[in-house]
Order: sequence, then C-alpha cells, then structure tokens
Amino acid sequence: MSTMWTSAQLEAQERPAGGDAAKMAVRGLSVFFGGQRALEAIDLELPERQVTALIGPSGCGKTTLLRSLNRMTELVPHSRHEGDVLLDGRSIYGPGVDVVDLRRRVGMVFQRPNPFPMSILDNVTFGPRRHGVRNRRLLQEIAEESLRAAALWDEVKDKLHHSGMSLSGGQQQRLCIARALAVQPEVLLMDEPTSALDPISTGKIEDLIRQLAEDYTLVLVTHSLPQAGRVADRVAFLLQGSLVEVGAAQEIFTRPRDRRTEDYLTGRLG
Amino acid sequence: MRGERADRLYRAGVGLLAGAVPVALGAIAVFVLVDALPALRYMGLGFWTGTQWNLGNQYGGTTASQNGVVAAAGATFGILPYILGTLLTSAVALAVALPLGVGAALFLSEYAPPRLRLWLSSLVELLAGVPSVVYGLWGLAVVVPAVAGGIGPWLSAALGFIPFLRGPVGTGLGLLSAGLVLAVMVLPLIAATARDAMQQTPRALREGAVALGLTRWEAIAGVVLPTARPAIFGAAILALGRALGETMAVLMVSGGSINLLPTNLYGPVNTLAAVIASQLDAAFTDATHMALHALAGIALTLFVISLVVNGTARLIVRREGAA
Repeated sequence: MSTMWTSAQLEAQERPAGGDAAKMAVRGLSVFFGGQRALEAIDLELPERQVTALIGPSGCGKTTLLRSLNRMTELVPHSRHEGDVLLDGRSIYGPGVDVVDLRRRVGMVFQRPNPFPMSILDNVTFGPRRHGVRNRRLLQEIAEESLRAAALWDEVKDKLHHSGMSLSGGQQQRLCIARALAVQPEVLLMDEPTSALDPISTGKIEDLIRQLAEDYTLVLVTHSLPQAGRVADRVAFLLQGSLVEVGAAQEIFTRPRDRRTEDYLTGRLG
Repeated sequence: MRGERADRLYRAGVGLLAGAVPVALGAIAVFVLVDALPALRYMGLGFWTGTQWNLGNQYGGTTASQNGVVAAAGATFGILPYILGTLLTSAVALAVALPLGVGAALFLSEYAPPRLRLWLSSLVELLAGVPSVVYGLWGLAVVVPAVAGGIGPWLSAALGFIPFLRGPVGTGLGLLSAGLVLAVMVLPLIAATARDAMQQTPRALREGAVALGLTRWEAIAGVVLPTARPAIFGAAILALGRALGETMAVLMVSGGSINLLPTNLYGPVNTLAAVIASQLDAAFTDATHMALHALAGIALTLFVISLVVNGTARLIVRREGAA
C-alpha cells in the first residue's frame, strides 16, 4: 500500500511519536455560522492513539467541534472560524494546506450509516480508487485489510459484490468504518456512530472502537454517557459552545471539578 | 359492519378502475392485430423484410389475389425502411439528448445558484409543453438549414472516415434533422427527471464522499451520478418511447422517403408513425381496403417495438437494482 503515502504523511512519520503526544490540538477555536457563534474559544488536546469522547447536551457544539477537525464545517455556507487546529503541530487551516489530503488523514464516520449505492467491495475501495490506486490485486488487499480492521470481513467475504445497502444497519456502519480506514487515515472522527443502531450492533462497534484505538487517534461524539464510560480514555464536556472541562474518563465520571459537569452527569442538566 | 361493507365496495371500485388499464392495452393489441391480419397474410414475412411500399393501381379497378386475400393490382407493402428509420431517428435523438440532459441536470442540481435554478427549471418544464407541430416548424425553419449548411458538411468532413457519417448531405431533410428535433423534444423529460433524482441524493452520501477526501466533482461523479443512475435510465426509456412514437414533427423534417433504405446520417428517412399519418388519406381510397390493413400492420409493429423496448429496459433496471 506504499503507493498511497503522500509527502505530508512521510514527513509526519519521520517525527518521533511519543505516547502522550497530542496528535491534534485545538487552539482558541471559535466557529460562527452566519452571525451565530457555535463554538467559543475552545482549547483541547487530542492525544495520539487514545479515544477522546465529546459529551454534552444537544446543541452544545460537540458535532461542530468534531467537524472542524477535518474542515467539514466549511461546507456550511457563511461559516467562519477564529483560532486554529493543529495536526502533528501544523495548522490545518494554514495557507497551502490541501483539504483533500487533510480529509484523507482525518477520516470520518457519520451518525447514520451512509454506504454508497454500490457493492461492498466498491464502497471500501472507493477512497483508494479516487486517490489513484488502480491495481486490482492491491485494491482487493486494501479491501480485505480494511474490512478485517472493521471486524466485518468474516460476515461479508463471500458477498463482496452484493450491494452495500443490503447489509444490516450495524454492518453498514462497520462498512462505513472500513471505507474510512481504507484511505489509511491517522485520525478517525465518529459522530454518534451508534445512535441509529440496536444494542448488539452498538456493542460490536464499541469493541471495534477499543481495537482501533491501538492504531488510530479517535474522537467520538456521543449522547450516551455509559458509552463514553465504556470506550473513552478522555472525556471533554461542552456546554453552550464552550469547553467546561476535559480530563481522563475516570476523573470526569467520578470526580468532576466543575459543578455543571456534575449536574449533567447526574441528569440535572440537558 | 357498515365500515366493512364500505371498505369492500371501495376495494371493488378501485380494483375495477385499475383493471381498466390492462383491458384497454389488451383491447388495443387485439384490434390492431385483427385489423392487420389480411395485410400480413398478403405479404407474409415480406411485410417486415421488404423495402418496397406501393398501394397499387387505385384507378383501374383491377385487383390481384395473393395467399387468399385481395389487394389492388401491383400493391406491395414492405416496411423495413420505416422500421430502420424509426430506430435510427430515435437512436440519434437519445445519443444527443442523454448527455445534454444529464449535463443540464448536473448544472441545475449541483452548480446553479438557487434563483437561476428556479428560473432555468421552469424553462425546461415549459419546453416539455410545446406542441409537436411547433417543434416541426422550428425544425424546418432552423434545424434543417443548419444541418444542410453547417452541421452536416462539418460532420461529414470531420468524421467522414466512418461510412455512415460520410456525405452527401443533401437538403437537410432527413435522419439527422429528425433526430435533432426529437432530441430537443425529449430533452426536458431527461433533464427534469435526472435533476430531481440528483437533488434527492441524501446529504449524508455527499458528506461521506467529501469526508473521504474527494473534491466536489469527484463526489458528484462518484456518488450523485450512481444514485441518480436508475432514474436517468428510466427517463431515457420514457424518452425513447416518446421518440419512437412521435409523428408530426418527424413527418415535417424527415424528408418522407419511400422505398429507400437509409445509407447515411443525412439522407431522407421515414418512420412507422409518420408513414401511418402521411399514407392514411391515400389508403382510404383503396377499394380493397388492403392499404388500411397494411397501415394497421405498421401500427402493430410500432406497438410491438415499444413493448419490447420497455420490457427490455425494465429487465435491465431490475438487474441493475439487484446488483
């Protein structure tokens, strides 16, 4: 799969990667939609190979924060931002940054499974094909590797040419994860990836998130506090566009420092 | 109890209404077939393979008997040129209208600013409401001279190495002009259907593609077009159906050839529907009624071609949908 490495990625590889080093860092980030402020001066570090969960009541800005990490917020007309987001110490909003390459390095999984209307195999190889991989054998290898990493291979290996839409909801979501992994991202953003799934499928996705954290830096938006407790290393609590507190999951759930966090966790808020 | 009875009555009522559709279709097929039978007996398979069309001597009162049926002396009914003319004009129409229509739909759905989209969309729908005789006149006034004086000679010079595209171009009345006029007539159907299908592409799919690092155009080509493909295919079939059966506009610009197989893209042709319209007057004067039976035979042929085209298209759509 060496054909897919880009120069930016090679440079990133050369830097020593410490265990606790921040893969991404948000610096004083504010985001505006029209005149409305959606995020206010957020500072947040996302440590490498850890799961950071963003929690908070609806409309608190957690999805906006997630989407500003791969510049998806820019798709909204009349949106603008202040502050900065760093990936491996470099601004993702700086001049000369290739958004296409950024989104390849920072992948995304959505709230509802959104497989493309094509075969399972074509779904997974969609990204690599668009990024220039033509060799069929190589594409097949990428597909198998990605589907294995998404814990879906055994269920679909005999029907790779069936439509991606024919799978169950949980399988579709793992297909979307495989699709995101196929372009070899470094960071994976997940926007409430289990909110449309049944408990069994949810359990599978949560197991998968823990596995993926061995290789990837994950950011997870979730409405489910138990889910954040099960999978997150770190938890960030947002309220009305501001970051209230962030820390190790254990700390936040057992000894929140801020009164508002405690209110939210105990159900008195949101 | 009363509700149950009303429900049963209602179900019987709508069942009857729905049943009217297959009954009407079957009735048309049976009547056309029965009406065509004498001509089919008279000509045999030669009805479809023959190239000569002649109503026979209409003035001497002499008749000829063949295969047990009677027709005017010298009468022969071979419709192969019209079958080819129908298929070719429709093929040209689709080949031109499909890329144009999908392109227009792409612009309307993906690139046009909202106000321009609204304005252009209503223009496209207006185009669908223009009567076909107006298209025919426009074809005579604009398309035919353009084919004779510009498009034809240019195509012949640029792509003349393909025998079918080589000149002479002639008067402009012919296959290419008919195909182009038909293309404009079916364009709104394709453009409007494709635009609606593209706009219905879920936002989640577009975002999914963009999040994989695709540019806007790649996302459109990779996700929006595949999503809209079944609808575009369906629109193309409807367009083909309309083009196969279109009568008046084709009659006015096709050159109305008889006894002549098309040899190039520019020469005069005739279509099944146009022949029925143009020969009807003369056929009524045939005392043996054989000419009318022959026109019924043409109608039967057009009917079968339409059914086959639609049926095949449905099969393909179903297979595509299952994949």
